[in-house]
Amino acid sequence: MKAAGDSWLTRFTWRSWLSRGNPTLLGLLGAIVVLAWVGSNGYRQTLVITAATYALVALGMYVPFVLAGSLSLAYGAYASIGGYSVALISTKTGAPLWVGWLIGPVIAAGAAVLLGIATRRLSGFYLVAVTLLFSEAFQNYMSNSSFAGGNAGLARFRALDVFGWFPTFNQLIFLTAALVCVVAFLLSRLRRSPWGVVVRSMREVPTAVEACGARVPVLNLVALAVGAAVGALGGALFTQMVGSVQPDTFTLNLVFLAIFMPIIGGSGTPWGAVLGALIVVELTLNLPSLHTSGTLLVALGVLAIMLIAPRGLLGYLGAARKRAWDVIARNRVGNAP
Amino acid sequence: MSDLQLWISAVQIGCFFGLLALSYYVVLAGTGFFNFAIGTYAMVGGLCAAWLVINHNYPLWPAVLIALVATVALAAVTEVAVVRPVQRRSEGSELPALVAVTAVLFAIQQLGGVTFGYTTLPGQNLWTFHSIHLGSSIILPSALVLVVTTVIVFFLVAAWVRFTRTGRVLRAVGDSRESASLLGLPVGRIRIIGFALSGLLAGTAGLLFAPKAGVSSSSGLDWALSGFLALVVGGTASVWAPLVGGLILGMLQIFIPFYFGGTSLPYLLLILAAVFFAFRPQGLFDRRVRV
Repeated sequence: MKAAGDSWLTRFTWRSWLSRGNPTLLGLLGAIVVLAWVGSNGYRQTLVITAATYALVALGMYVPFVLAGSLSLAYGAYASIGGYSVALISTKTGAPLWVGWLIGPVIAAGAAVLLGIATRRLSGFYLVAVTLLFSEAFQNYMSNSSFAGGNAGLARFRALDVFGWFPTFNQLIFLTAALVCVVAFLLSRLRRSPWGVVVRSMREVPTAVEACGARVPVLNLVALAVGAAVGALGGALFTQMVGSVQPDTFTLNLVFLAIFMPIIGGSGTPWGAVLGALIVVELTLNLPSLHTSGTLLVALGVLAIMLIAPRGLLGYLGAARKRAWDVIARNRVGNAP
Repeated sequence: MSDLQLWISAVQIGCFFGLLALSYYVVLAGTGFFNFAIGTYAMVGGLCAAWLVINHNYPLWPAVLIALVATVALAAVTEVAVVRPVQRRSEGSELPALVAVTAVLFAIQQLGGVTFGYTTLPGQNLWTFHSIHLGSSIILPSALVLVVTTVIVFFLVAAWVRFTRTGRVLRAVGDSRESASLLGLPVGRIRIIGFALSGLLAGTAGLLFAPKAGVSSSSGLDWALSGFLALVVGGTASVWAPLVGGLILGMLQIFIPFYFGGTSLPYLLLILAAVFFAFRPQGLFDRRVRV
């Protein structure tokens, strides 16, 4: 048996990284670089909050979309559920705030399962149409709800406490980055777990998976529920950090961008969605020279990537790493006595 | 259901949805997939003409011509540059083409916003004459032009599909691309024609409907969804099925808010769509034989 400390982290060498690759380590390095760049600059902190929200919604969509192969556009509603849970617990009850953070993902997962049961015979374009109608209906419901402030939404929340500890805003930014890294890491483990392998095979050959005894409809529903819960976490994060939520906070634009993020970053690993979220925020919000055309640039870039480089940035990084390793391995063989 | 004014609105909206659904139908008949970007072609048709006239003082008809050329070009580019390469690579799987079309829709929406601005512009009336009074109801010129054009367009497309060589080849290509190319039919050229025609239809629809409520760069997504619902409700048995679907959807759009209150429309549409898709995804009219 290996000792607990003998994990991938302690066994790390450049050579082993080059031979196998490890996006998690790259992701942690990226998070540290981003946090160092942000410092305590308020504008950059809001950028990180937005990027983290985008990343969580994209990570949520990653599970049903990239792993299970069904495209649902209801993620604006799921993020909204997460956001409103935090907001309602904070303003209408005296319950601890973590209850809101917990309830939101659970309700969103339940909503996703119900919607998934209602649409279990649909796929492709039909599913897109019904989930679009669902998010419109949900937004309409929140706009007309008397308990959640209607169109004005909710604001002025209690400060977030972690079991009595009140973190400063700088510490919260750090926790935000940590949350994204943890979720991305867990999803990359999920992707390679037996369950993840079955779900990915289901995407390619559903009949064969069904014939092997795996229950395709249940797999689909679980994938939808996990994705919705992660998306709701993103909504809860954004609402808590920004301090208000309205029915149109999580727009369809966000959902479209979240579809594109894994394509930009690379769909071979959940970290691709995180990288995609960073790139989208950089292009749409942080480059003043682009003004409003940043989103257009993202859309055109996605089309170009789909046509020319369908593996995305991380896919190409992986290919480059492999080539470098091949060169090293060949040299070693050549130098051997 | 006895108020004539409501029926006029329902028919007007229904004809618009029917034209959008016909635009879907032409692509579907030729390529076997739903081109969601059609809503944004309609947006470009309406918005480009209004923008040229209002912001650049173009005369009406050249502006209309430019707008329609732009939509046809966008549709043809969608096929040549995006759909064809993606479909060739994905080998029968639907998801890549769906994602690609979603990206096209989003890109055209952003392109419309950057080019034409993000404000809502009033649509341009192609012909102006006195409104027709029927009792206490009024038929506006724009409504009459839309309805008459829709009927003429449907007749033309029905004749084109049935009687011309190109129209028949389009259906053959849609039924089976493999056998069509084995027979030596010009599959690539026919598909471009199908896309270009659908762009023309969608552009016309957007142009004629824009006077009713104005048009902005974000209209495209709603219109894409409405046209898709109209086509799914109507089915694909004949060229006329999309018009039936459009008229039914138009009636729902007008009479549900009238009888159940304005906020009920999204809920009822969601429920109706989910039930309809689950139990009759082939539409009301279907030419396939049940086996």
